Amino acid sequence: MSQRLSSHKPPRIPQRFLRWYCKPELLEDIEGDIEEDFNKRYQRIGVRSARLFYWLDVIRFFRPFAIRNLFKTQKFNTMFSINTKIALRNMSKHKTYSFINISGLAMGIAACLIISHYVLFELSFDKQFANSDSLYRVHTTYFQKGNDLGTDMHCGFGLGEALRRDIPEFENVSLVHPYYGGAIVSAVADSIGLLPIQEHHLLFAEPTFIEMFSLEFVAGDPASALNDPKSIVISASMAEKYYANEVDMPIGKTLRVVGRWGDTGDFIISGIIKDFPDNSHLQFDFLMPLENVLRDSQYGSEDAAWGWSNFQLYTQLIPQTTEELVEAKIKNLMRTYIAEDLERNSEDQQLSIQSISELHLQSEAGNEGGNMNTVYFMIIIAAFILVIAWINFINLSTAKAAERGREIGVKKAMGALRKQLVAQFLVESFWLNLLAIALGVLLAYLVLPRLGIIIGEDFRLDFSEPVMLIILLVLIFVGPLLAGAYPAFFMSGFETTRSLKGDQKLSSKGRIQLRKVLVVFQFVISTLMIVGTYAVSEQLRFVRVQNTGIDMGRILVIKGPTLNRKFSAYEKFRNETTALAAVEEFTTSRSIPGAGYNWTTEMYKDGEERSTRKGVSVTWVDANFFNTYEIEMASGRDFSNPITEAEDVMIANGVIVNEASLEIFDLGSPEDALNEKLVLSGTTIHIRGVMKDHNWKSLHNEISPSLFLYTKANNEYFSVRMNLQNANETIDQIMEYYESNFPGNPLEFHFLDDFFDKQYKSDRQFGQIFNGFALFAILTSCLGLFGLTAFSILQKTKEIGIRKVLGAKMSHITFLFSRNYLILIVIANVLAIPIAYYGINYWLQNFAFAIPVTVKLFLIPLILLVLISLMTIAFQTIKVARTSPVKNLRTE
Amino acid sequence: MKGTNLGEFQELVLLTIGVLYPEAYGVGIKEEILAKTGRKVTLSTVHAALNRMEKKGLISSDFGEATSIRGGKRKRYFTITAYGLKTLSETRAQRDLLWNAIPEQVFQVNWQV
Repeated sequence: MSQRLSSHKPPRIPQRFLRWYCKPELLEDIEGDIEEDFNKRYQRIGVRSARLFYWLDVIRFFRPFAIRNLFKTQKFNTMFSINTKIALRNMSKHKTYSFINISGLAMGIAACLIISHYVLFELSFDKQFANSDSLYRVHTTYFQKGNDLGTDMHCGFGLGEALRRDIPEFENVSLVHPYYGGAIVSAVADSIGLLPIQEHHLLFAEPTFIEMFSLEFVAGDPASALNDPKSIVISASMAEKYYANEVDMPIGKTLRVVGRWGDTGDFIISGIIKDFPDNSHLQFDFLMPLENVLRDSQYGSEDAAWGWSNFQLYTQLIPQTTEELVEAKIKNLMRTYIAEDLERNSEDQQLSIQSISELHLQSEAGNEGGNMNTVYFMIIIAAFILVIAWINFINLSTAKAAERGREIGVKKAMGALRKQLVAQFLVESFWLNLLAIALGVLLAYLVLPRLGIIIGEDFRLDFSEPVMLIILLVLIFVGPLLAGAYPAFFMSGFETTRSLKGDQKLSSKGRIQLRKVLVVFQFVISTLMIVGTYAVSEQLRFVRVQNTGIDMGRILVIKGPTLNRKFSAYEKFRNETTALAAVEEFTTSRSIPGAGYNWTTEMYKDGEERSTRKGVSVTWVDANFFNTYEIEMASGRDFSNPITEAEDVMIANGVIVNEASLEIFDLGSPEDALNEKLVLSGTTIHIRGVMKDHNWKSLHNEISPSLFLYTKANNEYFSVRMNLQNANETIDQIMEYYESNFPGNPLEFHFLDDFFDKQYKSDRQFGQIFNGFALFAILTSCLGLFGLTAFSILQKTKEIGIRKVLGAKMSHITFLFSRNYLILIVIANVLAIPIAYYGINYWLQNFAFAIPVTVKLFLIPLILLVLISLMTIAFQTIKVARTSPVKNLRTE
Repeated sequence: MKGTNLGEFQELVLLTIGVLYPEAYGVGIKEEILAKTGRKVTLSTVHAALNRMEKKGLISSDFGEATSIRGGKRKRYFTITAYGLKTLSETRAQRDLLWNAIPEQVFQVNWQV
């Protein structure tokens, strides 16, 4: 080197790392080379880059040829095997102790694994498509007079064409249209429909959808599968369901789809795809061309392109752009297309896009399920449970220390180094942990499918998922260190002479304090869990028994026919059904409580400004609806004795509004309202009556303004109020009538209360999961408490003997030894209650109708918890207190 | 190990050691490869190849002088052994054999593309 280069100091950390791992015979050469490079770079590109490259070089050299043997094999192996032997002997000597320790830890690990699986599943939504990163859904945010009215994922089909034409940043665009209400599907053989089945997951989409969502075709041509408006693509499991007896793929076969949307009838199967993944916000089994639904007469009208917001729009961005750039471009696009409408109503609509991978947990569109908070909550619970389990382990190990004092004393006297003792205890902790992990994995493997059933997913323990593997490795290698380090250092620190003398007070004051802190921490978590569980179950009970204003238990709802629905058949069915002795009333309607409203539109009081209009929900019911559902009227008349001869029967009969509408539309008292008229979506209509408020939707929702419109009869839902004696026979009879009058329609019926309760499915799941983990937490805590008392009492056997000899009562002794732990539990409760209070309030905000947070909500679970822990403690104390003092005093 | 076949990168390093004789060492080899072939290789790759070839007996090494730029560490100079030279020339002979066996037309056809 002719060039003069000065020498600089390389970074310390990587240098030490290199010196640690590198083979000594190679070290000088390698270190010198790296340092030479470092100094040259220092001159050329500066300190920071040179240091970075030094790091990189050191890491790159971490490969087999340069790494020395990091374990001093011979010595390491011998010590490890001896320590293993000691550990296993110790385990089999103290069977109860080992059992408590291992099973407690195993439960914690199982719970942690199960929750991890659940969390990973929740996080995996919509990330599996080849284009996941570039797929976005278009959202519309509505404004009225500058007020944000919320964001929605629906749009009119005009937007698809508009974006395709105006925004070059979209590589692909596909409108989709869900098959609202589902359809009846049957395989067709020799032009005869076979067994019809009600299906719910059907979707209309454009041909681009196939490429965007990288649908995998088992058969058929992806490029042309959706080109013909009468073609249909089905999933593999649907092919199996409808063509179970066929050997070949049912390509080219005919499937009859009958429902309310598009050009229904016979479709030719043009493709079969692998089942669409469960972990996607989109769910469909049947894919049909969008062109088909656009043939629907309602989409043919003049302003349909922007008027009917039944569509959703998915887009794929080109790689060169970003979400922000596109959003800036499309934000005010609606103003170019429906400027007049927006102007007239002093409204605005702004477009935005959101990545599909966020839709499941963090959708910007209002009232879409899924919640990131639940996922965070689950992660916290998993961490808590694992921590409880490790605390248990630490507690039990240190509690046992006194017993092993002599062993440690002897070892130290023989010249064992502290390092060696630490190693011994760590190896012991390693084996206990390993056994616990094996047991925990087994437990998780057995329990996980059951959890899957609750949630409705196919769950199986799977370590091919890298994150799960990492969690497992952390549990195996970090767990023993975390849980074993404290006991190891604690026990190896005993003074030789004192431990040899068998000094009982080995554990000095300070250390007991730590153990107490840990117990308190455990019970804080247990308290939180049990209080939470109780609150959730109370609220769920409340929503079940809460008076919704409708007596749901006696109303049987039958899904109306889709096929062969002649009015004469309906009349015959109605007459036959009402003739049954147990049937009290019969009605038809286009929706029922728990099934949502039919139409959400806008309305204002006649005589006021059009700009005062507000949202209102509309449902169509027939003349007998109020009788059947026993909804009371606040004023006016219900739909009995309707006008049947008029130009427009619906308008002639007027509307019935609920009480919640009165104030919002400024209608005055129920009596005053009868003199008012309303303008409903442009049509003026008089108020026929005011009904008392009732819960049409779940108690998560406030009672919002809604109204009923008259219909002569509707084939959507038939409701029957019946006498519950001989209910089964009556239902059988009704079903028989149904089948004979509406042949070919699938039977779907349920009692209204069951149907209404389905709205609480996710709440119930939450409750069940919470229950399960609360049980875990309490069980582990009690195991810990059990172990702890067992050992402290064992140490005080003699004291108890002496007390008994001197005449102490059994109850007195039991109290004496339980007192310490009771105090700990009380402290834990005091700490936990504010947190629980906050948590419960937070959760109850989900409900418009919630139970009040009262003392009772805390008291009952606390008493329960104290009782459980008392029993755990007393089980031990009573056992010792009952043994004859002679026996106790003789032990030496 | 079948026969004495050299890996492509090993051959490159071996040749470079020859070029730099008698002062071939880690960083030098790396820089020479960059200068002659334009290939950016990392130090650890060079060392791995050197280590491997020394084990095979293709090269031998001796420590040289210490310099301040190396933080006072000595350089390790590599030289090709007789066995290494033999392997290298065998490799070359194999190549030549194959080159000569390529029919004349191949070159003409390919150049037209």
